[in-house]
Amino acid sequence: MLEATVEVRNQLGLHARAAAQLVRLANEFKSTIIVHREDTNSFANAKSILSILTLAASMGTKLLVTAEGDDEEQALASIKSLFLTGFGEV
Amino acid sequence: MKRIGGVIISHGQVATELLAAAETVVGELDHIAAVSIGWHDDVDVAKDEIERAIKKVSQGNGVLVMTDMFGGTPTNIAAMFIKENEVEIVTGVNLPMVLKVASYNRETTLSDLAKEVEEQGKQSIYRTSALLEPQKMKKDA
Repeated sequence: MLEATVEVRNQLGLHARAAAQLVRLANEFKSTIIVHREDTNSFANAKSILSILTLAASMGTKLLVTAEGDDEEQALASIKSLFLTGFGEV
Repeated sequence: MKRIGGVIISHGQVATELLAAAETVVGELDHIAAVSIGWHDDVDVAKDEIERAIKKVSQGNGVLVMTDMFGGTPTNIAAMFIKENEVEIVTGVNLPMVLKVASYNRETTLSDLAKEVEEQGKQSIYRTSALLEPQKMKKDA
């Protein structure tokens, strides 16, 4: 299992279309990917858009992403870069 | 995977716009159709339109119809098509429900999906200030 902390960098936060990008990316991997928002102690399945939206993560929110499975390394790297680019909105 | 189809039916343009919003979020949705029933439309015309929409999205695994309001004309007309394992209706459609039908990605039955979508719709309603309260308190503490 691998984990990394990412930060929501785009102004609109993890809104519907951004969440959809994350979910689309997560679904490309076999690993189980969980997103944990530590300040509210809420968890979401990165492969479900409705689950991700319940995190209500606004700009500046830090999230702990864990990936577990055969392709956990690639999965985590891709997700980290998606957050770094602010879902193409920064 | 053969998908379960979805048909959104509403008074006015709500159905069309809900589908457009869902497609903006998750991309094109070939297995979901929208039927907007005009305020002055004839019942038979509306019935034909619903029937066409159900046929259009059916892949043989059943079709889940989502209508705007229980007791309204769209629901009442759609109810004529209810058939076990073929057509189920869930009322009170909202965007999370459409997204659920858009994005479910494993084999399931029509009745199970209908139950999940009903639950999703209910769970997706938040009084947002209540969600934000505990965080505020944490910040103040």
